[in-house]
Amino acid sequence: MKIRPYLYTLLFLIVAVFLSIAIGSVFIPPAELGRILIGWLKGAAFSEPLKTFAFILTDIRLPRTALVLLTGAALGGSGAAYQGLFRNPLADPYLIGVASGAGLGAVLAMSVKWPYSFWGLMAVPGAAFICALLTVFLVYSLARVGKTVPTTNLILAGVAFGSFATALTTYLMLRSTGELHRAIAWLNGGASQAGWGPVLTVLPYLAIGLGILLLSGHALNLMQFGDDQAQQMGLPVMRARTLILLAASLATAAAVSFSGVIGFIGLIVPHVMRLWFGADYRRLLPLSLIGGAGALLLADVIARSVMSPQELPVGIVTALVGAPFFLWVLRRAKNQGYW
Amino acid sequence: MFRKSIFALLILLLLAACGPTRTSTPVKVTTEPAATVIPSATFTTTRSTTSITLTDGLNRTVTLASPVQRVVSLAPSNTEILFGIGAGAQVVGRDESSDYPAEALSLPTSGGYSGFNLEAIVALHPDLVLVGGINTPEMVASLEKLGLTVYFLPNPATLEEMYTNLETVGTLTGHTAEATALEDSLKVRVATVDEKILPISYRPTVYYELDATDPTKPYTTGPGSFVDLLIARAGGLNIGAQLKGEWAQISLEQLVVANPAIIILGDAAYGETPEKVAQRPGWGTLTAIQTGQVFPFDDNLVSRPGPRLVDGLEALAKLLHPGVFK
Repeated sequence: MKIRPYLYTLLFLIVAVFLSIAIGSVFIPPAELGRILIGWLKGAAFSEPLKTFAFILTDIRLPRTALVLLTGAALGGSGAAYQGLFRNPLADPYLIGVASGAGLGAVLAMSVKWPYSFWGLMAVPGAAFICALLTVFLVYSLARVGKTVPTTNLILAGVAFGSFATALTTYLMLRSTGELHRAIAWLNGGASQAGWGPVLTVLPYLAIGLGILLLSGHALNLMQFGDDQAQQMGLPVMRARTLILLAASLATAAAVSFSGVIGFIGLIVPHVMRLWFGADYRRLLPLSLIGGAGALLLADVIARSVMSPQELPVGIVTALVGAPFFLWVLRRAKNQGYW
Repeated sequence: MFRKSIFALLILLLLAACGPTRTSTPVKVTTEPAATVIPSATFTTTRSTTSITLTDGLNRTVTLASPVQRVVSLAPSNTEILFGIGAGAQVVGRDESSDYPAEALSLPTSGGYSGFNLEAIVALHPDLVLVGGINTPEMVASLEKLGLTVYFLPNPATLEEMYTNLETVGTLTGHTAEATALEDSLKVRVATVDEKILPISYRPTVYYELDATDPTKPYTTGPGSFVDLLIARAGGLNIGAQLKGEWAQISLEQLVVANPAIIILGDAAYGETPEKVAQRPGWGTLTAIQTGQVFPFDDNLVSRPGPRLVDGLEALAKLLHPGVFK
């Protein structure tokens, strides 16, 4: 096992985590940051201004960093899995309708005035999660031909249903003018509640989904030869495909339900990893997971610092900064026929 | 067989989707010790004799030991109310759009339309965050989880409800006398307008423009909006009252049929002028344009549900009935 790619991506992730904790609209001087860390280790109580800084770290920045890290990991990992599964360089975690389903669910939930309670606040992420999974299930059923689910059918059914759901979402948004800014913020990946609640809620789904994906590298490698070949090499193609599809969709749906739709990470991170470190899915999956987490953390740092104290929806940053970066990597890559 | 197993799995997932939310309930509780970090949340037991308990617009019970001294306002209407009742000195932070009165501009901002910054709000050590109808419930929940005291001031639907909001903010900040005085003076001004308008039977038709990015179907104010209410009070007939929704699109065809006597440009701040309106294709036939009854207007006077609504009422009444307002 080559260790170097892991070292590089882990180092990148650690730097991104550090930046995400260190940078915010309230400037915490590095010396103070150090004193807080030492204070935590000693278990000492803080006095002002350290008290406020420590509170901002534990209750705002750390939970946000954790949620963004998990979301990025889910998008990067699922993106790599989808690309392998569909053998299509344009595949991203939203290819078969997770994003459009989640968006429809979220906007539907927003059009109802929920009581201000714990369950009322769970309505939007809950509806997003359920509609995302229902969409995947529906697309999967629609794409079935007998006992097989051809990938072309999946893509086409996904695109068609996605357009339908997006149109319905837009219609709902135009009808309910009052909550428009809330919906737009959600659809661009900019809305989430503070605190550890969302992190702990999505964690079990991501653990299951990403856990399965991390184990499916070999299966994805075999699938690159085509369905018939893979079958002959002993892979139960249909079963493996269904399992990977479900795992990736579960992880993506959970991530999207709290963070909103964040584009581009799931598309470019796996490509960058493939260009740099090769197309072996046993390596590509974990690397995309780590890389996705790091990339989204960096995008989030930018999103909350460029217009501080205003915050940009992070989805805007991922595309605005991610696209040129990806084009640069693409131009520099010597092995153009890497796919 | 696959279909069955997938379906079973999905049902399981959906059930599970409800599960962890329950496990995260304790999280709400565990964040409560954090409240001790913020001084504002610790005083509840110290001085219960003078404590203030109110129910806010989200049916939340808000209890204060005493009137608040450090307020962060997250809506321009809230900021205008706070300054209007003489609590301006207690305001320590504002949202990006709070640009009135001018003193408010020197206060630090903690975000706005595209997103609020929780860190910036916490760092101001507010003992009250006054949020408004433009803020989301998620925002309220986030602030609450950080141990901050939050009051949601609902958007009023009538002038009476706006007066109630003044009293509420007066109670929260300890300026009840000033709030009542402001309320009384506003009522006198509204009564003056009423006195002048009521004897007149003429009710000009009014088109109030919110946005004409597409001049073939601009946005106007529909029934239930404050502009609709104020136009009626100022002695006019809002042609948008026939439409649906507070913000409603009207087609140029409908506009030509309604043929308003007066056009008010609430979008003047975005660069619309009477000259530009006259040049819009198809608009030239409108009576208001031929008679020069097109007026730029400060939309902030009628879109922010605070004390300046009465300024808006007076300004509208002057435009609609210049004869009686000399």
